[in-house]
Amino acid sequence: MFSSFSIEKIFSLLKYDQNDPLIFSTSLFLILFFVFLVFYNLLGKNKNARIFLLIVFSFYFYYKSAGVYFLVPIASAVVNFYIGKWISANEKFLYKRLLLFLALVVNIALLGYFKYTNFILQIIGDISGGQVTPLAIFLPIGISFYTFKALNYIFDIYYDTLKPSASLRDFSLYIFFFPNILMGPIDRAADFLPQIEREPFISKEDIGRAVFLISLGLIKKVVIADYIGLNFVDRIFDFPLRYTGVENLLAVYGYILQIYCDFSGYTDMAIGVALLTGFKLMDNFNYPFKATSIADFWRRWHISLSKWLLDYLFKPVQISSRGLKIFGNVLALVVTFFVCGLWHGAGWNFILWGVFHGTLMSISLFFKKPKERLYKFLKIHDTKFLKFLQTVITFHLVAVSFLIFRSHEMQNVTDTLSQIFNFFHAEVFVQFAEKLPLILGLITVGYFFHFMPASLGQRIQKIITSMPLPAKVLFLVIVIWLAAQFKSADIQPFIYFQF
Amino acid sequence: MISPELKKVILSELDLDDFDLQDTTIAPEVPGWDSLNHVNIILAVEKFFNVKFKSYEVLRLKNVGDLQTLVNSKTGK
Repeated sequence: MFSSFSIEKIFSLLKYDQNDPLIFSTSLFLILFFVFLVFYNLLGKNKNARIFLLIVFSFYFYYKSAGVYFLVPIASAVVNFYIGKWISANEKFLYKRLLLFLALVVNIALLGYFKYTNFILQIIGDISGGQVTPLAIFLPIGISFYTFKALNYIFDIYYDTLKPSASLRDFSLYIFFFPNILMGPIDRAADFLPQIEREPFISKEDIGRAVFLISLGLIKKVVIADYIGLNFVDRIFDFPLRYTGVENLLAVYGYILQIYCDFSGYTDMAIGVALLTGFKLMDNFNYPFKATSIADFWRRWHISLSKWLLDYLFKPVQISSRGLKIFGNVLALVVTFFVCGLWHGAGWNFILWGVFHGTLMSISLFFKKPKERLYKFLKIHDTKFLKFLQTVITFHLVAVSFLIFRSHEMQNVTDTLSQIFNFFHAEVFVQFAEKLPLILGLITVGYFFHFMPASLGQRIQKIITSMPLPAKVLFLVIVIWLAAQFKSADIQPFIYFQF
Repeated sequence: MISPELKKVILSELDLDDFDLQDTTIAPEVPGWDSLNHVNIILAVEKFFNVKFKSYEVLRLKNVGDLQTLVNSKTGK
């Protein structure tokens, strides 16, 4: 009886559960990944068996989060593999173009159906003034990521800068690769496909970097993002008018740190996990809050997406509208950031967030030369003071943009801003620090390490690399234990400050 | 090999006195050659050599050497 009960329990734990995706910060993933790594290393010499295991594990990983919808990325892999082959095989440019168009239609239709159907229906309902019942459409997790991965493969073949993959198996692994299928990085086929053919070589530095990134990612995701999100940010943003400006401001600072730690923490873990399987993925974040302009921010934030949008959307629009001179750039910026917003989600808040960034960058295009002249006139050109000022201004513009990003109703944005500007009550900060020291501590530590020189991270990585393997494992176990403490901690009581 | 004419057009568009442009040089390595300025360089090259590039031809350029090859193909060199 006992054994059948246990087997049933294990089975139910392992099967698809929409509310329990197999993300890296779960203990189930860590256990399964450890078992996978043991077999993966045992098969090290047998390339076909190794790739087979990697594909099977990746299929399972996706199935666990999406159930029967694991057929969607399979369909995406098959369709894009063959269209890629046909584009390359065709000599006539017109046919290549038509096939590119076909690939775009298929991929956008797939993404559009699952992600945007209800949003479009809602818009139609709003315009016609009628009631439109949303359809019960399941959103296959990660669809925006793997659709964009498939498309960069197609574009590169179209531009004749990449030879199509000769193997459907290899291309499927590129689409399905479990470390980056759910949340990126949106790796380039040109970088990933050659790695499948190579013997996996995991150097001492790679293991050190992997341990560093997985630990850093866990701390960012579980200790900082999840904790301050659940225990602080959500509560303020649910009812901004109940709190003073100082709390609202701290919630805004907390939220952008939360979203950064959540997303970059997850991709740190993805890059670390991939390294342990012998694959190098592209970097996705580079201290984004150190940016000195919005353009600089996009060179540091979600780099794999911003580079994708730059290469396959911004540049084509920019080059084909170059006759419009500076307005060609404006058009390309607005189109790119509109799509960037829409890519993040089917909602006006995401579109507004994107357009806000596009507008800021367009405005800065017109002020580029006057700004330079002003800096020279004030003799602050190339000074640390100017850099500091630019960083502070950029950070706050980004903060406002993410306030829009988070709010499904504009009322929340105006409520938060009006509390900050009209009901600040700086003295409440002391009470806040006394009542919620851990929240304040985590926000402070998060920003402190973010603004430290990048060399600090490299130094820690070197120290981990120099440790013997058992010490590395012990280090990772301690970090996992620490993360588990934060994960299992009760929701912190939240004190509503009365004034 | 980058021709002196192409080098001159690029450097003058970027307000640079000198920069060692090689075939393998890529845009981010050159001060000021960012994604927004890229279009101005392409326009300046088209104007100087009196040629017209197709969007497809520009989008597949990987480095300055590719740009030189494209210019040569258009000017019949």
